[in-house]
Amino acid sequence: MTAATDTRSAAPSLARSAAFRTFAVVCAIATPVIYTICEIQNWPLFTYHPGTNRIDLFWAPPVRNEGPAMHWYGWTANTLIGSAILGFIATMLPENMTRRIPLSLVWIVPLAVVPVLIYALKFFWRW
Amino acid sequence: MGLVPDFLLDFVTVNTYWTILFTVHALLAVALLGALTHQAMSVLMPVRQGAAAGGFVTRFRAVQGAGYAAAVCILWVVTFFFGAWIYTKYRMYVRIPIEQQGFWKTQGVFELKEHLATIGLGLLPVYWLFWKDARNPEYDSARKWLTVLLAAMVWFMFLVGHIVNNVRGFGS
Repeated sequence: MTAATDTRSAAPSLARSAAFRTFAVVCAIATPVIYTICEIQNWPLFTYHPGTNRIDLFWAPPVRNEGPAMHWYGWTANTLIGSAILGFIATMLPENMTRRIPLSLVWIVPLAVVPVLIYALKFFWRW
Repeated sequence: MGLVPDFLLDFVTVNTYWTILFTVHALLAVALLGALTHQAMSVLMPVRQGAAAGGFVTRFRAVQGAGYAAAVCILWVVTFFFGAWIYTKYRMYVRIPIEQQGFWKTQGVFELKEHLATIGLGLLPVYWLFWKDARNPEYDSARKWLTVLLAAMVWFMFLVGHIVNNVRGFGS
């Protein structure tokens, strides 16, 4: 027994909820996948122009003489909304089905997308 | 110039405003780094029950990991929020000079940092669940490796933030 297990106390009700478990697991698996797709395909929900504080829906190019365009906020919005929706949909599935999702995927999938994201940034790896 | 609420400029200069924001972001990151490092050590090298009080390393890894979970989640979200806010300034006044000076790898690792920050957000609900239902042995392995992964991500992000600040941060 470890020091960590010594201190285990009764879990809050949310942590014992099967629906929350399903939501959290699916959300954790979906987030890296959706984010990687949005980044590689360049699918932001919106584009922010920091030079003028303007926001365009979906992807937009930089405007001449108005500074750069930022898409990361839009990828993040897509990712959080998309993974939350998938998580909620998963809660409607039968529990015996969602219980079959391997819990190890919650750390394997985020780890697996890292090389993909590094490759997607190949423009920057120049000497 | 990035996101600056106008009413604040009655009280502080633009430079002071961004300096305060960046300092708060950095301090929150230090707290997050410390919490997750303690927690990761506690799952990687757990201290046996009844073990005699050891030295610094033993005490470092003997923390009650479950007690850190909510704090880590809150710290991640708040640090992310401040980082996202500062990013508006970074994109205009830091990234462009970095590119002009040809520090491509520095910019590349910063891009990876922002990717990991977002991915980490999506992992927080399951991370919280695993720690708050710590009696459930089904979660033991996933909790361990997810915690280690999040700690590694925070270490990477912290060091990259430090490097970027060295390249073009305060005083540049």
